[in-house]
Amino acid sequence: MAAKDLRLAAGGGQGLVQAVLLGLLLIFLFSLSRPTTELVSPQAAAAIFWLASAFGLVLVFNDLFSLEEAQGCRLGLLSSPVPEHAVWLGKGLAGFALLLLSQAVFLPAAAVFLGQDIKGDWGVLLLALVGVDWGLAALGALLGALAQGQGARESLFSVILFPLLLPVLLGGIRIFAGCFSGEPAMDQALWSGIIVAFDAVFTAAGAFLFPFLYTGEE
Amino acid sequence: MADADTATGAGTGPEPEGDVRLAVSGVGKFFGSRLVLRDVSVSARAGEALLVVGGNGAGKTTLLKIMAGLCRPSAGTVDLRVAPEASAYLGHATFLYPRLSAQANLLFWGRMYGFAPSQEAIAAVLSRVGLSRVGDEPAGTFSRGMAQRLNLARVFLIGPKLVFLDEPGTGLDPASQDLLRREIIALKASGAAVVWVSHHLNSDLPLAERVLFLKDTRAAYFGPAEGFDAGGLTC
Repeated sequence: MAAKDLRLAAGGGQGLVQAVLLGLLLIFLFSLSRPTTELVSPQAAAAIFWLASAFGLVLVFNDLFSLEEAQGCRLGLLSSPVPEHAVWLGKGLAGFALLLLSQAVFLPAAAVFLGQDIKGDWGVLLLALVGVDWGLAALGALLGALAQGQGARESLFSVILFPLLLPVLLGGIRIFAGCFSGEPAMDQALWSGIIVAFDAVFTAAGAFLFPFLYTGEE
Repeated sequence: MADADTATGAGTGPEPEGDVRLAVSGVGKFFGSRLVLRDVSVSARAGEALLVVGGNGAGKTTLLKIMAGLCRPSAGTVDLRVAPEASAYLGHATFLYPRLSAQANLLFWGRMYGFAPSQEAIAAVLSRVGLSRVGDEPAGTFSRGMAQRLNLARVFLIGPKLVFLDEPGTGLDPASQDLLRREIIALKASGAAVVWVSHHLNSDLPLAERVLFLKDTRAAYFGPAEGFDAGGLTC
């Protein structure tokens, strides 16, 4: 499932391209909002980075779930013996990979346009990136199923998704701010714990609830 | 016209248990407050085709989805007597990813059914449905008829023991419809039970062993195809 989704995303899928372009636009626009003589604070730069990632997440998962809608493939998946959990895991892994790929563009863009440098521990930054991204992907794969087939898919998806993502996004912002400034946050361990805990909650919720959302009767 | 009093299995004799691939008992279905199916009991046997007919809105597609596990019944039970990977569903939608080639589509669906089909197996089913020459072309470039042939190839690849067909001939040219009928005969010959929703009663009835006629949300007739009088049925 994940391999198929990544192949389709790489071979003309619009979600990844749109996510990267929107994220870059956000970072660029925020860079224009600062006075020319001042730098964006590490905290603000981290917030902009994760905001770009969160918007990208919506576009990526809308694209991934729309792949199953065009020719009724969702019905095909449901009529196959593959468990619904496997669909959730496949979508989650594909979304996770695509999110990482888009962030590989956002991070240098944040360095260039927002005047940031990674002064802290790269290991901590990468661990935080993976931890937060898994939480985003686990919840994105769950709620992408909720919003599919709805007329107001994008808005419904965003409205439900963003409030739930706040804990992991805040964790990512705090840890990234520490890595940008070179002064690790005092509460880094606390935020790392929050990220891991919410990853576990989102993963459990995804595995348990996805079949109910995805098998909705037509 | 078939008489409702002769319905629901009268005259079909006791079912040989080993042959029954699907047994539906007392199934009913509400969509909201609207009743679309009421107390339908039917079975499908190995090597036979069960033709499901009825007018528009009679509940044929709903019943097929309930049988295939794609829709929950409001009442009654569905006893599927084959493994999940041994049943296949073919409906109006083609279940194809337009940007994947025909071969890649078959490979993906094979994996979804728990096996990795060999190139030879994929080539064989593509040849069977007359799509050998376009196997590496994106499915999105196919006509409706070619896409439905590829969908049929997906079913053959799975090698099912129970097949659900929902008006599979819709949009097909006469040659493709002939191919479809030949392959339904082949499926039956391989021992598969075929449950088949159709609007083409005159041409499809001779291929069926039994008929379920749905009328006014009920099973108005369930019995041998040979004794089914379709008079007055406008599909």
